[in-house]
Amino acid sequence: MEQGVQEIRSERLGDHYYEVRHPSGLKIFIYPKEKYNSAYAVFGTKYGSIDNCFRISGEEGVHRVPAGIAHYLEHKMFESKEGNVDARYAKVGALVNAYTSFDMTCYVFSCTKHFCDCLGILLDFVQQPYFTEETVQKEQGIIGQEIRMYEDTPGWRVLFNLLRAMYHSHPVKTDIAGTAESIAEITPELLYECYRTFYNLNNMALCVAGNVNPEEVLSICDKMLRPSKPMAVERIFKPEPDSIVNPRIEQKMSVAAPLFQLGFKEPAVKGRADVRQLAYTDILLEALASPASPLYCRLIDAGLINEASFGSEYFEGPGFASVIFSGESKDPDAVEDMILKEIERFRQEGVGRETFRCARNTVYGKYLGAMNLPSNIANSILSLDFAGREIFSYLSAVAEADEEAVMERLKTQMDPGHASLSIISPDQ
Amino acid sequence: MAGITQRSVCSGVTFRGIRDDRYKTVLMSVNFFLPLNRKTVSSNAILPFLLKRASREYPDFTKLNEHLAELYGAVLDADVQRLGDVQILSVSASAIADRYALDGEKISAELSNLLCSVCFAPPLQDGLFPEDGFLQEKRQLEETLDAEFNNKVGYALRRCEEIMCVDEPYGIGRLGSKKEITSLRRENLTAAWEYMIRHARVEIFVLGDCDPEPAFREFSDAFRSLGRTSFELCPTVVKKVAGKKKDVTERMNVAQSKLVIGFRTGCAEPEKGAPVVKLMNALYGGMPTSKLFLNVREKMGLCYYCAPAYNSVKGILEVQSGVEQKNLKRAEEEILSQLEEIRSGNFTDEEVTEAKCYLSNIYHTFSDSLEAMENWYLVKTMYAPTRTPEEEADMVNDVTREEIVEAAQHMTLDTVYRLTGNEVKN
Repeated sequence: MEQGVQEIRSERLGDHYYEVRHPSGLKIFIYPKEKYNSAYAVFGTKYGSIDNCFRISGEEGVHRVPAGIAHYLEHKMFESKEGNVDARYAKVGALVNAYTSFDMTCYVFSCTKHFCDCLGILLDFVQQPYFTEETVQKEQGIIGQEIRMYEDTPGWRVLFNLLRAMYHSHPVKTDIAGTAESIAEITPELLYECYRTFYNLNNMALCVAGNVNPEEVLSICDKMLRPSKPMAVERIFKPEPDSIVNPRIEQKMSVAAPLFQLGFKEPAVKGRADVRQLAYTDILLEALASPASPLYCRLIDAGLINEASFGSEYFEGPGFASVIFSGESKDPDAVEDMILKEIERFRQEGVGRETFRCARNTVYGKYLGAMNLPSNIANSILSLDFAGREIFSYLSAVAEADEEAVMERLKTQMDPGHASLSIISPDQ
Repeated sequence: MAGITQRSVCSGVTFRGIRDDRYKTVLMSVNFFLPLNRKTVSSNAILPFLLKRASREYPDFTKLNEHLAELYGAVLDADVQRLGDVQILSVSASAIADRYALDGEKISAELSNLLCSVCFAPPLQDGLFPEDGFLQEKRQLEETLDAEFNNKVGYALRRCEEIMCVDEPYGIGRLGSKKEITSLRRENLTAAWEYMIRHARVEIFVLGDCDPEPAFREFSDAFRSLGRTSFELCPTVVKKVAGKKKDVTERMNVAQSKLVIGFRTGCAEPEKGAPVVKLMNALYGGMPTSKLFLNVREKMGLCYYCAPAYNSVKGILEVQSGVEQKNLKRAEEEILSQLEEIRSGNFTDEEVTEAKCYLSNIYHTFSDSLEAMENWYLVKTMYAPTRTPEEEADMVNDVTREEIVEAAQHMTLDTVYRLTGNEVKN
């Protein structure tokens, strides 16, 4: 294979993939899965809903754009001079889709035939923006209804209320799709401006997994990728205080029983957590709140949570990080109380060797399970890479973790002074 | 992909295995099929949850969960589904394959052992399920119903089905009503469990990177020892033509109105026409290039989603959308008018080819996922002969445009359901 290609192996998994620094500026990952029928590709840019204020390297001024524009741009990328992208994929029988998160926008397809054609279309349409007044205007109604759908989704509302209770100024607190007002300000010019800034191949990555041939992938990339001038974008966030905004936020909705999210905000730091820190947090949360934990058992016995909804996650991205517990409960305040007590007990008594071992094994097993599906693999590689992480290193960090390191991690997390509780309660 | 092996265990019990080392995990499930019935729906629904929380070997919920955590976070799961007029009660276990265990543990053997132990040896006290577990699971089942109410898109769909199938078992729902769950009595559950293991039709799956043979022996021994002689047949009512159109509007505090339109297709599995309806459904609205998406969403800009779903076991098709209250009527008219287009043959051969490619891609992707394979065969086992996804892809491929038009003409409008806010503005 050509120069600039690096093979990355995991003996534990018996898997391998290739990382390629393409001359166009794009980073490419190729993860062949033998004997799979399907192939999956994701072409993504490090650009999401939080990127509303930025500076381009070599420029003086700061660009400010309306909330929801990254998501709007994602919708509009599906139109090209040659017509709708869905129609192009329909001809080759593949499924194309896209998603926008806080810090990424990704275009994906999955197919069982005509992989080369599918990849060619992906690289083509994502490199060719085409917006007009008319097409941009038309999307207002559609995205307007997407926003309205989320207004009726209590699981979504409880998260954004929590983020508003935790963050003073960080744009993570704003809905990914923006608001009816903010999207009304979006014009073709603004879309082109954001496109030119963030859809530079140096700010993007491509990952393919499944039934793929590395030589074929690279040959299509050679043909389709148009070199981008090296460029760096600086995300600008207003300084975010360490403190939270509100310890408690409540909204009434048409729900039969309350939902909650309890977040522990962490101070903003430069850069992102590395794979070890991630692994330690995942193990810690498993030990603290998984179904095998004493806390979980007490919460269930007290009738305060249910198995279908209770969970925990490490929610982090550029300039924000927090541990979040969530679920349905008749008494969210009592749940908060018990979680706080258990965190304190962990600090005093430690995790315990046996609990640690079980938690580590569980995190390891979950990771392995996620490595069955090409879509999971490709999306994970991409999002990890955008945060400077590598997928197999995460697995090693889990397998090699020890109790002391996990306890050390706890010292920097789940500070009760920075906790917010968000509740959605019944309107009658 | 490795092939599926199928073996009969005893009366009404079938074992299916797919051994496939592409996966890093193993999935095993025991699925009990019983007719949906108002009297038994809730006492059946609680059973899988009650079973998976403890066994004689692991009588304590936390001890059982600790054991699962030791097995690299093995998951013991319970589920209740409604498939046509059938209630499927499932207990499943999944975990990493033996070869990936860090200390050489034999995980697959533990999984089948655990599944048999929870299904056949619950920790009964004086012949009853323990009270604390019963109360916990009853509460959680009630909360599941609450959660289903909270999801308004799903809620609207279920309301439409309830209204549409009010005189059919399907209308009962998979868990029964809140009232039925609240009035569950622990004294009745042992008999319900015994009936289930002795008289339900049972499908056992062992899929993934493990030898199915030891699991087959273990499940066989357990079921054969019950001396099963007969099992419940699980028929589904397929109403061929809708009766008088039902039109229901309900009000609730919602930001966006939800519209659900239910049709009778006149065709259900295992009829030859079922793959035709699947193709017609794709053409109508299943894909981003189909009629509903292009017109109701792209052209008129009325909604974010507008998609039909064909329930091939029950023979009904429902179109769902979320729109502003003032646009409910326009959306409904357009959804019906797009169906007219298909009935009149106003679609190109190219659209048909695209719909076939679209479905073929989905069928050929199933075998890359253990869960998708399990789901596929769970439905297909209800009918003989059992088709593979690839075989059905071929059937879809052979459908003609005349058959599509005919399928669309057989669709009859049964129910229009709207969930909308209180403010009425037109």
